[in-house]
Amino acid sequence: MSGTLAVYHKELSTYFRSPIAYFVVAVFLLGTGYFFLYNIFLTGDATMAETFQNMGVLLLTLIPVISMRLFSAEYSARTMELLLALPLEPWQIVLGKYVGAVTMLLLMTAGTLIDLVPLYLFGNPETLTILSGYIGFVLLGMACLAVGQFFSSLTQNQIVAALITASVLLGFWFVGHLQSFQTSYALRSLSGYLSFALHFADFIRGLVRTEGVTFYLVVCATALTLNASYLQWRR
Amino acid sequence: MSPAIVLESVSKRYGSKTIIHDLSFTVARGEIVGFLGPNGAGKTTTMRMIAGVTAATSGRVTVAGYDMATQNTDAARQIGYLPEHPPLYDTLSVSAYLRFVAKVKGVDRAALPVELERVTTACRLEAVVRHEVYKLSRGYRQRLGLAQALLGKPDVLLLDEPTAGLDPGQIQETREVMRSFGAEHAVLLSTHILPEATLICHRVAIINRGRLLAIDSPRGLERAVEQTNRVRLRVTAPAQSLREELLSLDGVNAVEIHASPGDHDVLSVECQVDAREGVEARIARAVASRWDLHGLERQAPTLENVFLKYVKDAPVERETA
Repeated sequence: MSGTLAVYHKELSTYFRSPIAYFVVAVFLLGTGYFFLYNIFLTGDATMAETFQNMGVLLLTLIPVISMRLFSAEYSARTMELLLALPLEPWQIVLGKYVGAVTMLLLMTAGTLIDLVPLYLFGNPETLTILSGYIGFVLLGMACLAVGQFFSSLTQNQIVAALITASVLLGFWFVGHLQSFQTSYALRSLSGYLSFALHFADFIRGLVRTEGVTFYLVVCATALTLNASYLQWRR
Repeated sequence: MSPAIVLESVSKRYGSKTIIHDLSFTVARGEIVGFLGPNGAGKTTTMRMIAGVTAATSGRVTVAGYDMATQNTDAARQIGYLPEHPPLYDTLSVSAYLRFVAKVKGVDRAALPVELERVTTACRLEAVVRHEVYKLSRGYRQRLGLAQALLGKPDVLLLDEPTAGLDPGQIQETREVMRSFGAEHAVLLSTHILPEATLICHRVAIINRGRLLAIDSPRGLERAVEQTNRVRLRVTAPAQSLREELLSLDGVNAVEIHASPGDHDVLSVECQVDAREGVEARIARAVASRWDLHGLERQAPTLENVFLKYVKDAPVERETA
């Protein structure tokens, strides 16, 4: 446990000393603020629904920028050599890094809470729906980070890691659209089930369904297990 | 007590290419073993297998009694490893970096300040403790890598070219660190610098193309190749009679004569002689009694000659797929 914690602390101090993290957080908060104002003035409703939708897409484009360095940078700086020689199991490295990245996600998410201030000042929003949206957002982010971290462990080139992650995440986001082209029931259900966007839409509507929660957690667990197994196999 | 590092018939293959062939040797506690070999000989791969960074394809690596195939995390607590490129996090400060490694190695929170103090003093890093790693010079980076390896007082120290990039003063200090550490622990160090091996290693292993060619004390290796002894002399004499005279002497096996560059009267002569004592005295007497002898020196075997002999003599073989 202490090993995982040490990796986690190292990851956090790396984030706060890297310009990329500040850039990503800034872009995300500016983007979210813009969409929030746009949606509020356009619809006049005290709701976060549209904004959550936009935040999801924004997240999809920014996650690869956060996750790309997780392992690729360790390979290219040859510090992976140190991590592998230290008394750390692969899963401890994977977990320490992942929890660090999720902490960044939570900080980014916390930054958007400021948008709620005018919502509550001038309107009467549904608190539970907003809460559900935030739960969905964090789960979506966690799944995306796990996928990104896995792909980062496959290459020492950060750009390649980011591009593969972005492609895969976009695939998962849009796979739901294939539903309308499927005649077979099984394929329709499968493309619906695999869709990051459709599950997220439930959360935005205020539905915290076991199916959605399980889906995101299974994606996290699968990606992280693949990640740790790959490190073990590489040895 | 069993040796700290044991390699038994270790091989490493990447795809169809065999990098390490059937390597076996041991390093005992209190022993410094030098690892010599040309670039690409397999030194770094062997180090990485002992450090647990990569697994052996076949054979067994045991460190501090732990099998690296199954207990590498336990073994890792007993290993200090400095890879060829010091594995440093540029974004961290020197103290944050050392604290990270110490925590992972399980250094007690209470003992942490003392332990950090110990390694920063040993590696002369006091002046840069608060600096960010990316600002460090090459010498400091190398020493920070060494400090990291010393953390947690490991049983076994693996150093891949530890003095690369250091100035002569720093090299001297680093050797002192290795020597004092090697008094109680096992040290395996790979190096290109042959005098370094002669100076601080108890034994030297020569490897080439993934095979162990020889392992012995530096003196033992030198003795083994003493038949390569040569005597060089500078003489003013007619070449033909000089050659006949030298070859007639007991102990002289071959003679090579060249004109000295820049001084046409003086011949530069190289004799291949037996390892026995006194051959050079006989040559000196014989030559000086008839001609002008300007200089004579016997070239004792150096580790460099030994190394070159082993590496050159190793059979070239094709990789089998």
